Amino acid sequence: MKIRHILLILTAFLGAALLVAVAFQIRDELLGYQTAERMAASNTVRERLLLGTAALASERSQTYVLLIGQRSEASGVLELRDMRRQVDDLLNAAEREITATQASLSNTGSSLATVSRIRREIGTLRQQADEFLGAEDARGEQFAPRWFQEATRLVGELQSSRMTILQRERPLDPVLRTEANLRAFGAILSENIARNQALMSRALGSPSVVGGLETDVISQNAGRAELAWELIDGQLAVPLSESVKGSVLKTHESYSATFAPLQRSLLAALLGKVAPAIGPEEWYDVAGRELSNIALMQQEILRSTRERLESELSRARRSVALWSALLLLGAAAVLASILVVRLRVVRPLENLSQAMLRLADNDLEISLPRLARADEIGEMSDALRVFKANAIQRRRTQNEKQVLHARLREAYGQLQKDLEAAAVIQQTMLPPSARIDGIEYHGLFRPSSLIAGDTYNVVRRTDGTVGFFQVDVAGHGAAAALVSVACHHALSQTILTRTQGTPLEAIAVQINEEWPEDLPYFTMILGEIDSRSQRASIVQAGHPSPLVIRADGSIEMIGEGGFPVGMLPFASYERLEFDLGPGDRLFIYSDGLVEAEDQDGEQFSETRLRNLVRDTAAAPSPVLLGRLDDALRNWRGSETLDDDLSVLMLERLPERIPANAVD
Amino acid sequence: MLSTDLRENVLVVRVEEKRIDASKAPAFKDEMTRCIEAGQNQIVLDLSQVDFIDSSGLGALVTCLKRLGPKGSLAVAGATGAVSRLFTLTRMDRVFALHPNVDAAVEQLSA
Repeated sequence: MKIRHILLILTAFLGAALLVAVAFQIRDELLGYQTAERMAASNTVRERLLLGTAALASERSQTYVLLIGQRSEASGVLELRDMRRQVDDLLNAAEREITATQASLSNTGSSLATVSRIRREIGTLRQQADEFLGAEDARGEQFAPRWFQEATRLVGELQSSRMTILQRERPLDPVLRTEANLRAFGAILSENIARNQALMSRALGSPSVVGGLETDVISQNAGRAELAWELIDGQLAVPLSESVKGSVLKTHESYSATFAPLQRSLLAALLGKVAPAIGPEEWYDVAGRELSNIALMQQEILRSTRERLESELSRARRSVALWSALLLLGAAAVLASILVVRLRVVRPLENLSQAMLRLADNDLEISLPRLARADEIGEMSDALRVFKANAIQRRRTQNEKQVLHARLREAYGQLQKDLEAAAVIQQTMLPPSARIDGIEYHGLFRPSSLIAGDTYNVVRRTDGTVGFFQVDVAGHGAAAALVSVACHHALSQTILTRTQGTPLEAIAVQINEEWPEDLPYFTMILGEIDSRSQRASIVQAGHPSPLVIRADGSIEMIGEGGFPVGMLPFASYERLEFDLGPGDRLFIYSDGLVEAEDQDGEQFSETRLRNLVRDTAAAPSPVLLGRLDDALRNWRGSETLDDDLSVLMLERLPERIPANAVD
Repeated sequence: MLSTDLRENVLVVRVEEKRIDASKAPAFKDEMTRCIEAGQNQIVLDLSQVDFIDSSGLGALVTCLKRLGPKGSLAVAGATGAVSRLFTLTRMDRVFALHPNVDAAVEQLSA
């Protein structure tokens, strides 16, 4: 999984968690808001119903007193018309509210049906009452109790429909519940006062005919009112608003101070058949005033509930708005962080990673992203820049190296070619196997590199002697080779041009004296064989002592040493003379032969050389040299040598063999 | 490749190599030259560890001898076997004073 995915998934996950949490909170707040709305709607409906019930109770009393003829018809009917309109308006309003709150309230259909039915029944009841209101006979008075009973039933039904709604949407808030209870008890109180307003009016109108049953009902109503007050007082323990509490207390006080004693005295008068203190009209007004007091109290409670619900509603609304804003803010924050992560982290990282991969692929043409940042990504970018610079530098160095290497190879090739050419020339300077004046000679020449510091030559002089030399220049390689070439030439020339009688050692002394100090020294055997006599002579200058292989196979070593040439200017040399008869051979070699080491560092040695020579003494010189060469290769265990190696063999031929070239 | 030890104004230079050949000769010559240029003119060269000296090595020895000049002397101690034979073969036994061991050489030089 790539970093971009991890980061984006993490951010998205965190964002989603945040949003889900906020969304849950919003859902809760919305539910709270809906509940508040439902409460408010329910409350509005119940308010209308409560007011409607109170209005219907008033209409009941008014119609009742009109029916029994205690009120002057004209003004009473006008008042009644107002009251009916008020009842209709309130019930209309209640219906409208129920319809309007259909969305938030449950079971509105049955409430609506109940209210409609009650209205229909009110309408029917009113029509019946109207028939008797216009009549100038006692039929009105006869209908009054029935009216009262029916109207009371409808009032009760309105009450219970209100209670049904309250039961359905019971508020959880203790204050709201208490206020609802207060209203319910207030409604009971109001209903009982309203009932007595009508019933007492009738009793006061004709105290003489009032029966015990009627006074019982009135008394019961008064008792229910008292009970309602007790219930109301019982609710005041809950911390209600001051205005509600004040209103309740004030209303109760006025009730207890004026209305209750009056009602009690009237009831006592009625029971005692004593003339009551006031007439029915006055009672009706007193009761009406008490009812409007209670209505005021109810209004106060309603207002408090309304305010409370409204504040709850607006709180819920604010809360929803707040959390919605938070949701939007959260969503914006998530989007912003995704964007920031993409722009500031993911994209630069991807660019860097691509650049790194291409750089790792040796693609130095890439242009690196230029990031002026102080954070880790900026540091990575800077480091990458350094990597690239280093890689470019490395490639440049590598190219330079390759060029240099190619040049070196070329130069080396050229040098090798030169050396090979020089080696060919050096080889051609060496005398091939030949016979001169009864002397046969063979050579073995093996340079350690292409060209050697060893050289030898055999020169035929006009005076019948055969001069020869073998030279080994100190060191090996090109410098030694050049010196050996110079020696070869100088010695060959000296042998050829030497005045007869000049001793060999004088030649050595002269060359030694004239030898430039800067040049490496050399060792040599310089010698001559007189072709007419049996004698030979040599000068040994630091060179290994040559061997003489006699015709009978015995071996002698000639000389014990001498100064090398070119090492010390004052060196002296001596000439060694010895017999070299027919079939005798002179074996001259350079130190590369006896100093050749095997793989353990052991030298081939003089002893091994002598053994080999002794064992091969019967064989012709080329065979002996071939064996020697093979033995050395075996000794070395390889084709290479550490030092130049050369052997020169000179043989005085038996006299019967004619002296002419063999090769 | 060399270790030195000053004994009674004689610098004993011990060659700590088995061979003085073309590959070692330049370094040998340089180190010896430094000893000589430091003012030492009585030098004993202890060759008891050396098994083999080739033509380049011999050249280096002679160069040192020449550099030391007529005032100084370079004695050789402990030359045996091939080294001793080389000295004989090239007559260097007549140029360098050869001693069987360092003590004898030091004694000779400091006398």
